[in-house]
Amino acid sequence: MSSQYLYVTYIRTTPQKLWDALTSPEFQRKYWFNMHQESSWKAGSPWKMMFSDGRVADAGEILEADPPRRLVIKWRNEFNPELKAEGWSRCVYEIEEDAGVVKLTITHAIEKEKAKLIEAVAGGWPKILSSLKTYLETGTPLPRPIA
Amino acid sequence: MGHSRFVYVIIIHSTREKIWEALTKPEFTRQYWAGTTQKSDWKKGASWGAYTPDGRLWDTGEILESDFPHRLVLTWRNEHFPDMKAEGFTKLTYVLEDDPLGIKLTLTHEVDVANSKLIEAVSGGWPSVLSSLKTFLETGTPLPNSEKWPEGL
Repeated sequence: MSSQYLYVTYIRTTPQKLWDALTSPEFQRKYWFNMHQESSWKAGSPWKMMFSDGRVADAGEILEADPPRRLVIKWRNEFNPELKAEGWSRCVYEIEEDAGVVKLTITHAIEKEKAKLIEAVAGGWPKILSSLKTYLETGTPLPRPIA
Repeated sequence: MGHSRFVYVIIIHSTREKIWEALTKPEFTRQYWAGTTQKSDWKKGASWGAYTPDGRLWDTGEILESDFPHRLVLTWRNEHFPDMKAEGFTKLTYVLEDDPLGIKLTLTHEVDVANSKLIEAVSGGWPSVLSSLKTFLETGTPLPNSEKWPEGL
């Protein structure tokens, strides 16, 4: 059995800008809970997600990279022993363009029934991607001050 | 009997009141929701209908709960496609909550039917509609792919 989380969002941007926002540490820090990721974003290269204080949150490897269309990351939690014990998950980003809008599909899956990791990321992805969307469309991530 | 369910969460820089109005008032929905409108007085027990841009009744139902601006629950049956209509009334729940990043909108659309065709169809539509709603509320302009009703439908 497996567990899977799927999220689709539509963003007024270009595939290249979205790819850059997803892979560049300066952009990530603005919308990803002040975290950033380190990788050369090529198939086979190592990947890790860092907390702002330098601890490693998640780590893995780039399985596929076809900029600016598709990215597949082998992903394991590193800071929570229970989540780490679930082993490797697989996160797929798919980017498609349609009529001036970019569709981003995130599929995060693991070969384990009722995985705690998938439950955890299911809470995080909507917040990260809502902030990313606002950032790309307005230049400012969430939260924004109420006018 | 099985169950089919679609859940979507999105955080919007807006107020609960403005999001509620954008979800229910025709002058807003027709801008970001494929030109469609909904008619209801949005009180518990009231009838509810969703209409295509040319005025055809597309979905019908009833308001089950209405707690402005926190929670809105309605029944929803498609009236156009016979296989979806035959699945009966689905249940749609909107919940609006404060979140450190903005207002969190959680949408749950479900029915006690296994492998529901209606839930499959709306699973493809909701991310587009709610992405456009967010863009509309945050920038004043909806997403261009969500302004028009699909040709031929």
